[in-house]
Amino acid sequence: MRPINHTAPKRSAAPVFWLLFGAGGMLSALFGPALIILTGFMIPHGWGLPATFGDFPHVLAFARHPLGKLVVLAVIALFVWHGAERMFLTLKDMRAGKPRLLRLVTYGVAGLLTLVTASLLLAIGF
Amino acid sequence: MSERRPFHRLQPRHWWAHKPYRAYTVRELSGVAVAVYGAILLVGLFCLWRGQDAYAVYRRILASDWSFVVHAVLLAAVLWHVVTWFEILPKTMPKLILRGRQLPQRQVTAMGLLIALVCSAALLVVVVAIGAMS
Repeated sequence: MRPINHTAPKRSAAPVFWLLFGAGGMLSALFGPALIILTGFMIPHGWGLPATFGDFPHVLAFARHPLGKLVVLAVIALFVWHGAERMFLTLKDMRAGKPRLLRLVTYGVAGLLTLVTASLLLAIGF
Repeated sequence: MSERRPFHRLQPRHWWAHKPYRAYTVRELSGVAVAVYGAILLVGLFCLWRGQDAYAVYRRILASDWSFVVHAVLLAAVLWHVVTWFEILPKTMPKLILRGRQLPQRQVTAMGLLIALVCSAALLVVVVAIGAMS
Protein backbone atom coordinates (compact mmCIF):
# COMPACT_ATOMS: atom_id res chain seq x y z
CA MET A 1 0.00 0.00 0.00
CA ARG A 2 1.22 3.43 -0.83
CA PRO A 3 1.22 6.11 1.87
CA ILE A 4 -1.45 8.75 1.64
CA ASN A 5 -0.16 11.95 0.11
CA HIS A 6 -0.76 14.68 2.67
CA THR A 7 0.60 17.61 0.66
CA ALA A 8 -2.08 19.94 -0.64
CA PRO A 9 -2.70 19.79 -4.39
CA LYS A 10 -1.07 22.57 -6.35
CA ARG A 11 -3.39 25.48 -6.84
CA SER A 12 -4.11 26.55 -10.40
CA ALA A 13 -4.11 30.18 -11.53
CA ALA A 14 -6.70 29.42 -14.21
CA PRO A 15 -9.75 30.66 -12.21
CA VAL A 16 -8.24 34.16 -12.05
CA PHE A 17 -8.00 34.40 -15.84
CA TRP A 18 -11.37 32.74 -16.22
CA LEU A 19 -12.89 35.41 -13.93
CA LEU A 20 -11.33 38.23 -15.98
CA PHE A 21 -12.59 36.56 -19.16
CA GLY A 22 -16.12 36.25 -17.76
CA ALA A 23 -16.21 39.78 -16.37
CA GLY A 24 -15.05 41.21 -19.71
CA GLY A 25 -17.52 39.07 -21.62
CA MET A 26 -20.44 40.16 -19.47
CA LEU A 27 -19.48 43.86 -19.42
CA SER A 28 -19.06 43.92 -23.21
CA ALA A 29 -22.29 41.96 -23.73
CA LEU A 30 -24.27 44.43 -21.62
CA PHE A 31 -22.69 47.76 -22.66
CA GLY A 32 -20.39 47.01 -25.62
CA PRO A 33 -22.79 47.88 -28.46
CA ALA A 34 -23.79 51.19 -26.82
CA LEU A 35 -20.14 52.08 -26.17
CA ILE A 36 -19.17 51.46 -29.81
CA ILE A 37 -22.16 53.48 -31.04
CA LEU A 38 -21.14 56.30 -28.68
CA THR A 39 -17.38 56.52 -29.23
CA GLY A 40 -17.37 55.25 -32.83
CA PHE A 41 -20.33 57.10 -34.34
CA MET A 42 -22.21 59.56 -32.11
CA ILE A 43 -19.30 61.46 -30.54
CA PRO A 44 -17.02 61.68 -33.66
CA HIS A 45 -19.90 62.66 -35.98
CA GLY A 46 -21.88 64.72 -33.50
CA TRP A 47 -25.02 62.61 -33.78
CA GLY A 48 -27.45 63.59 -31.04
CA LEU A 49 -24.72 65.11 -28.92
CA PRO A 50 -23.31 68.65 -28.63
CA ALA A 51 -20.01 69.20 -30.51
CA THR A 52 -18.23 69.94 -27.22
CA PHE A 53 -19.12 66.51 -25.80
CA GLY A 54 -15.98 64.73 -26.92
CA ASP A 55 -13.58 67.67 -26.83
CA PHE A 56 -10.31 67.74 -24.91
CA PRO A 57 -11.40 69.56 -21.69
CA HIS A 58 -14.51 67.43 -21.19
CA VAL A 59 -12.84 64.08 -21.84
CA LEU A 60 -9.86 65.11 -19.70
CA ALA A 61 -12.23 66.02 -16.85
CA PHE A 62 -13.87 62.59 -17.21
CA ALA A 63 -10.51 60.81 -17.11
CA ARG A 64 -9.47 62.86 -14.04
CA HIS A 65 -12.55 61.97 -12.01
CA PRO A 66 -12.04 58.86 -9.84
CA LEU A 67 -15.26 57.28 -11.12
CA GLY A 68 -14.30 58.09 -14.71
CA LYS A 69 -10.92 56.43 -14.13
CA LEU A 70 -12.65 53.34 -12.76
CA VAL A 71 -14.92 53.14 -15.82
CA VAL A 72 -12.03 53.57 -18.28
CA LEU A 73 -9.86 51.00 -16.49
CA ALA A 74 -12.69 48.45 -16.20
CA VAL A 75 -13.73 48.80 -19.85
CA ILE A 76 -10.25 48.70 -21.40
CA ALA A 77 -8.65 46.09 -19.10
CA LEU A 78 -11.58 43.66 -18.94
CA PHE A 79 -12.25 43.91 -22.70
CA VAL A 80 -8.60 43.16 -23.43
CA TRP A 81 -8.51 40.21 -20.97
CA HIS A 82 -11.63 38.79 -22.56
CA GLY A 83 -10.13 38.95 -26.03
CA ALA A 84 -6.82 37.53 -24.79
CA GLU A 85 -8.48 34.43 -23.31
CA ARG A 86 -10.43 33.81 -26.53
CA MET A 87 -7.34 34.37 -28.68
CA PHE A 88 -5.38 31.95 -26.48
CA LEU A 89 -8.05 29.22 -26.70
CA THR A 90 -8.40 29.67 -30.48
CA LEU A 91 -4.63 29.54 -31.08
CA LYS A 92 -4.35 26.52 -28.77
CA ASP A 93 -7.05 24.71 -30.76
CA MET A 94 -5.28 25.65 -34.01
CA ARG A 95 -2.07 24.24 -32.47
CA ALA A 96 -0.27 27.42 -33.33
CA GLY A 97 2.33 26.71 -30.64
CA LYS A 98 2.94 25.23 -27.21
CA PRO A 99 0.14 26.21 -24.79
CA ARG A 100 2.68 27.65 -22.36
CA LEU A 101 4.06 30.00 -25.03
CA LEU A 102 0.61 30.97 -26.32
CA ARG A 103 -0.51 31.71 -22.77
CA LEU A 104 2.58 33.83 -22.17
CA VAL A 105 1.99 35.87 -25.34
CA THR A 106 -1.80 36.43 -25.04
CA TYR A 107 -1.92 36.96 -21.27
CA GLY A 108 1.30 38.92 -21.54
CA VAL A 109 -0.20 41.42 -24.00
CA ALA A 110 -3.33 41.75 -21.85
CA GLY A 111 -1.27 42.28 -18.69
CA LEU A 112 0.94 44.84 -20.41
CA LEU A 113 -2.04 46.80 -21.79
CA THR A 114 -3.66 46.75 -18.33
CA LEU A 115 -0.47 48.19 -16.81
CA VAL A 116 -0.26 50.86 -19.54
CA THR A 117 -3.92 51.83 -18.98
CA ALA A 118 -3.45 52.12 -15.21
CA SER A 119 -0.22 54.12 -15.63
CA LEU A 120 -1.80 56.55 -18.12
CA LEU A 121 -4.79 57.07 -15.82
CA LEU A 122 -2.41 57.88 -12.95
CA ALA A 123 -0.23 60.12 -15.15
CA ILE A 124 -3.27 62.09 -16.30
CA GLY A 125 -3.75 63.11 -12.68
CA PHE A 126 -6.77 63.83 -10.50
CA MET B 1 10.82 -2.95 -26.84
CA SER B 2 7.20 -2.66 -27.71
CA GLU B 3 6.38 -0.81 -30.83
CA ARG B 4 3.50 1.49 -29.95
CA ARG B 5 1.82 2.97 -32.97
CA PRO B 6 -1.31 4.83 -31.83
CA PHE B 7 -3.88 5.80 -34.42
CA HIS B 8 -3.92 9.47 -35.32
CA ARG B 9 -7.00 10.62 -37.11
CA LEU B 10 -6.09 12.87 -39.99
CA GLN B 11 -7.28 16.40 -39.63
CA PRO B 12 -7.40 18.90 -42.50
CA ARG B 13 -4.93 21.75 -42.10
CA HIS B 14 -7.43 24.56 -41.77
CA TRP B 15 -10.15 22.56 -40.06
CA TRP B 16 -11.18 25.61 -38.02
CA ALA B 17 -12.16 27.48 -41.21
CA HIS B 18 -14.58 24.75 -42.33
CA LYS B 19 -17.94 23.55 -41.17
CA PRO B 20 -18.88 22.63 -38.48
CA TYR B 21 -15.99 24.32 -36.66
CA ARG B 22 -16.30 27.62 -38.52
CA ALA B 23 -19.17 28.85 -36.34
CA TYR B 24 -17.05 28.16 -33.27
CA THR B 25 -14.07 30.06 -34.72
CA VAL B 26 -16.25 33.04 -35.66
CA ARG B 27 -17.72 33.11 -32.16
CA GLU B 28 -14.31 33.10 -30.52
CA LEU B 29 -12.94 35.79 -32.84
CA SER B 30 -15.99 37.98 -32.20
CA GLY B 31 -14.75 37.99 -28.61
CA VAL B 32 -11.35 39.16 -29.83
CA ALA B 33 -13.11 42.13 -31.50
CA VAL B 34 -14.04 43.22 -27.97
CA ALA B 35 -10.31 43.51 -27.17
CA VAL B 36 -9.63 45.40 -30.44
CA TYR B 37 -12.22 47.98 -29.41
CA GLY B 38 -10.58 48.21 -25.97
CA ALA B 39 -7.25 48.88 -27.70
CA ILE B 40 -8.82 51.72 -29.77
CA LEU B 41 -10.00 53.31 -26.51
CA LEU B 42 -6.51 52.85 -25.04
CA VAL B 43 -4.97 54.75 -27.99
CA GLY B 44 -7.45 57.55 -27.21
CA LEU B 45 -6.36 57.54 -23.57
CA PHE B 46 -2.72 57.73 -24.67
CA CYS B 47 -3.47 60.72 -26.94
CA LEU B 48 -5.39 62.38 -24.11
CA TRP B 49 -2.32 62.02 -21.91
CA ARG B 50 0.00 63.39 -24.64
CA GLY B 51 -2.02 66.59 -24.83
CA GLN B 52 -4.35 68.70 -26.92
CA ASP B 53 -2.58 68.28 -30.28
CA ALA B 54 -2.35 64.49 -30.10
CA TYR B 55 -5.96 64.30 -28.98
CA ALA B 56 -7.04 66.46 -31.95
CA VAL B 57 -5.32 63.99 -34.30
CA TYR B 58 -7.12 61.09 -32.58
CA ARG B 59 -10.48 62.85 -33.01
CA ARG B 60 -9.77 63.50 -36.69
CA ILE B 61 -8.97 59.84 -37.26
CA LEU B 62 -12.14 58.75 -35.42
CA ALA B 63 -14.21 61.05 -37.66
CA SER B 64 -12.70 59.55 -40.86
CA ASP B 65 -14.43 57.12 -43.22
CA TRP B 66 -11.91 54.41 -42.33
CA SER B 67 -12.82 54.64 -38.68
CA PHE B 68 -16.52 54.49 -39.62
CA VAL B 69 -15.99 51.21 -41.47
CA VAL B 70 -13.82 49.75 -38.69
CA HIS B 71 -16.39 50.63 -36.04
CA ALA B 72 -19.22 49.22 -38.17
CA VAL B 73 -17.35 45.91 -38.42
CA LEU B 74 -16.57 45.98 -34.69
CA LEU B 75 -20.22 46.71 -33.89
CA ALA B 76 -21.36 43.74 -35.98
CA ALA B 77 -18.79 41.47 -34.31
CA VAL B 78 -19.71 42.63 -30.81
CA LEU B 79 -23.43 42.17 -31.53
CA TRP B 80 -22.62 38.58 -32.52
CA HIS B 81 -20.62 38.27 -29.30
CA VAL B 82 -23.70 39.45 -27.36
CA VAL B 83 -25.97 36.86 -29.01
CA THR B 84 -23.53 33.95 -28.58
CA TRP B 85 -22.61 35.01 -25.04
CA PHE B 86 -26.20 34.64 -23.89
CA GLU B 87 -26.60 31.41 -25.87
CA ILE B 88 -23.71 29.92 -23.88
CA LEU B 89 -24.82 31.38 -20.53
CA PRO B 90 -27.58 28.80 -19.75
CA LYS B 91 -25.14 25.98 -20.56
CA THR B 92 -22.49 27.21 -18.13
CA MET B 93 -24.54 28.49 -15.21
CA PRO B 94 -26.31 26.37 -12.56
CA LYS B 95 -29.80 25.21 -13.47
CA LEU B 96 -32.51 27.73 -12.66
CA ILE B 97 -35.41 25.98 -10.94
CA LEU B 98 -38.64 27.96 -10.76
CA ARG B 99 -41.59 26.39 -8.88
CA GLY B 100 -40.07 22.93 -9.24
CA ARG B 101 -39.48 23.30 -12.97
CA GLN B 102 -36.22 23.94 -14.76
CA LEU B 103 -36.25 27.20 -16.68
CA PRO B 104 -35.70 26.32 -20.39
CA GLN B 105 -32.34 27.40 -21.85
CA ARG B 106 -34.04 29.50 -24.52
CA GLN B 107 -35.79 31.57 -21.85
CA VAL B 108 -32.49 32.23 -20.05
CA THR B 109 -30.97 33.37 -23.37
CA ALA B 110 -33.97 35.59 -24.13
CA MET B 111 -33.80 37.14 -20.65
CA GLY B 112 -30.07 37.85 -21.02
CA LEU B 113 -30.58 39.47 -24.42
CA LEU B 114 -33.40 41.61 -23.01
CA ILE B 115 -31.21 42.75 -20.09
CA ALA B 116 -28.37 43.57 -22.53
CA LEU B 117 -30.75 45.59 -24.71
CA VAL B 118 -32.01 47.52 -21.66
CA CYS B 119 -28.45 48.20 -20.41
CA SER B 120 -27.16 49.46 -23.78
CA ALA B 121 -30.29 51.54 -24.46
CA ALA B 122 -30.16 53.02 -20.94
CA LEU B 123 -26.52 54.03 -21.38
CA LEU B 124 -27.29 55.78 -24.69
CA VAL B 125 -30.33 57.57 -23.20
CA VAL B 126 -28.34 58.74 -20.14
CA VAL B 127 -25.45 60.04 -22.29
CA VAL B 128 -27.80 61.86 -24.70
CA ALA B 129 -29.66 63.35 -21.70
CA ILE B 130 -26.36 64.55 -20.16
CA GLY B 131 -25.41 66.04 -23.53
CA ALA B 132 -28.75 67.83 -23.84
CA MET B 133 -28.46 69.28 -20.33
CA SER B 134 -24.90 70.57 -20.72
